[in-house]
Amino acid sequence: MSEHTPLTRASESESKVFLTAVWAIVWKDLRIEQHTRQTISVMVMFSVVTVIMFNFALEANLDAARNVATGLLWATILLAGTLGLNRSLAIERENQTIDALLMAPIPRNAIYLGKVISVTLFTLALEVVLILLFIVFFDKPLWRPVVLLVLVLGTIGYVAAGVIVTSMTIQTRSREVLLPVLLLPLSLPLVLPSATAVALYMFPQQPVWGEVQSAVSIIIIYDLLMLTAGFLTYHFVVES
Amino acid sequence: MIQIQGLVKQYGLNLVLRGVDLQVAEGEFVTLVGSNGAGKSTLMRIVATLLQPTSGQVQIGGWQLPKHAAKVRRHIGLVSHQSLLYGDLTAAENLDFFARLYRLDNSSERVMAALKKVGLFARQRDPVSTFSRGMVQRLTIARATLHEPDVLLLDEPYTGLDQDASQLLDDLLRQEHSHGRTILMITHDLTHGLNLCDRTAILNRGKIVHQVNSRDVTASEFLALYTGYTRNQKDKAATP
Repeated sequence: MSEHTPLTRASESESKVFLTAVWAIVWKDLRIEQHTRQTISVMVMFSVVTVIMFNFALEANLDAARNVATGLLWATILLAGTLGLNRSLAIERENQTIDALLMAPIPRNAIYLGKVISVTLFTLALEVVLILLFIVFFDKPLWRPVVLLVLVLGTIGYVAAGVIVTSMTIQTRSREVLLPVLLLPLSLPLVLPSATAVALYMFPQQPVWGEVQSAVSIIIIYDLLMLTAGFLTYHFVVES
Repeated sequence: MIQIQGLVKQYGLNLVLRGVDLQVAEGEFVTLVGSNGAGKSTLMRIVATLLQPTSGQVQIGGWQLPKHAAKVRRHIGLVSHQSLLYGDLTAAENLDFFARLYRLDNSSERVMAALKKVGLFARQRDPVSTFSRGMVQRLTIARATLHEPDVLLLDEPYTGLDQDASQLLDDLLRQEHSHGRTILMITHDLTHGLNLCDRTAILNRGKIVHQVNSRDVTASEFLALYTGYTRNQKDKAATP
């Protein structure tokens, strides 16, 4: 293989190869979203409709609406998240581009991490809109730093689990049904502490850090577990 | 360059490849023909490192598959009936993305040169989804050869192409062959297969049953030979 040896950069470190591939995949997903605006717009539309419907349904009792606001916030993120996950992974099945990714000289984990980062960015963009909606409709102070931290950490864990599950379900005919059925129970250990931590900040009397520390610790452990599981299993999922 | 010995692939009880033996020398153009279900695409996916064999040996450039798949990937390019391109990205963005994945030096110049080579320089800023089937297939060749692979794999490249587009694809493949690239093509199109290549092999019921130098037979002789084998297959399939 001498005559056509690829003119690639020689002697690159493995970490540089990995990071270059991750960035390439994130860049590609952001470019597609910039052109089509399909993923974020669908997630935002779904979320706006959901929040408005709940707002009208609970209009008679504003206190009740305020009490369920935290649960509603996370339910909306999870369901809108499945739309984003499905769309982002379906792109790789159209024209079978996943084969081109699998044939490229890059680690499989780079594809996984690239997808996690791009879907996390889409979901965080959705959450910016959701925060504004909750402030308007439910008068909830969601801009507090600890609440934002919990939202970011919770999103990372949810997407880390979601990319693995979606990569499995995307090849099936009933993927739209299978994804929430598999992913939502898997997300329960993440959603419970996340909702608890956010709920503590919804009352006028602010909690001290010690009260939310354990919840944040559980979320971080969940994130690490899911990212590790994704790194270890993604190549089996996409190659099988 | 490509050495396949006793290759077997089984899906459950279904034996798709039953001991395939095939050698392709460096710079040689070999076409593999066979009827539907003969195992052509399965064989191609194994050589493309996308599928693992059940048993048998596959070597590319002296590297054993699937053990050294990561090393082999840099040296192969795949053109299939699926474009493996992102319809929502422009032609230039698609090639730019793959240049990043392969970490190519002077990627911008290479992308522009590749677009000129396949006659799509003027359409570089148009989304691939707006391209005709022939244009998509030309861009697919640009993608598959962007990293100057030693081995070019072609999986039914003429599917859906009209006469003019097929002629253009013929010219591009002749060009790639004249550059010394090793080419393995599977196709239903016997005329194109025979005209372009150095050697043609017939794959029947998961085994190579006949190989012939393309210069040694006329198209009608080869058609008679091929029909004889495929008719035998149908007769055997119909036997209770």
